[in-house]
Amino acid sequence: MNLQINSTKNEDIITDLVYQIKKGSDAELIIHTLLKREELGSTGIGKGIAIPHCRSLAVDKLEIAVGRTTKPVNYNAIDKKPVTLFFLIIAPPQDPGNQYLITLGKIVQIAKELTKKSNLDELKTADEFIALINIIEKDLAKRK
Amino acid sequence: MAIVPSMYLQILFDLDNLLADMEEPGYKKIGFKIEDEATMTIIKARTDLLQKIPKELVSNYELLKKRYRRAIAPVENGFCFGCFQELPTELSTKSKEVIYCPNCGRILYWRKK
Repeated sequence: MNLQINSTKNEDIITDLVYQIKKGSDAELIIHTLLKREELGSTGIGKGIAIPHCRSLAVDKLEIAVGRTTKPVNYNAIDKKPVTLFFLIIAPPQDPGNQYLITLGKIVQIAKELTKKSNLDELKTADEFIALINIIEKDLAKRK
Repeated sequence: MAIVPSMYLQILFDLDNLLADMEEPGYKKIGFKIEDEATMTIIKARTDLLQKIPKELVSNYELLKKRYRRAIAPVENGFCFGCFQELPTELSTKSKEVIYCPNCGRILYWRKK
């Protein structure tokens, strides 16, 4: 998790997120696929949140990285508003039980709940951020 | 990005998975916006990529894709993750040639450690 991403270019932000998971040629392969995915349509889901995602041979298990930019960036989001919070999801191609789509759906749900929290920008550490996500997850579980 | 020849096949595979996921009902339900015109751009990028891969390999890849949906299988702990059969130990991870699973025929991929 990097809550202090200084990049303002979309490609640099994606690179920063991927480097939390992989380095070298594996990272290059993932970045290439993620950028192609963004070409298909922005993964900016609105209210300042984007969820770049893809499957890649470069990972052997589902990987998630979180990043927050220090300045809002134009990510061509669905609501046209700038983005500051990024959830990156990379899944292996062979994925028993289709955990990728289940996790993707769950992250979208959590992200939408996060946008309702007014203290989002005040979170300074990864622990604070994780604690908030845990609360949201519990709330969502209760509603089911 | 400097692309080495063996990487073209990996890029092709990841692109194919990307396009396949877009068609999944479960994916569509999540609600990401997909632009039709952009899909054509990716398909064009895929076609361009095919030109950079030896024809015989492309032909094998397409046949495997048609048969199994995913033509490449990662190797995990000496097992093909396509058919879950143990691979002969003599299969080298360092070989520069494309290696096929002797059991299911999928193209094998060893992840970097």
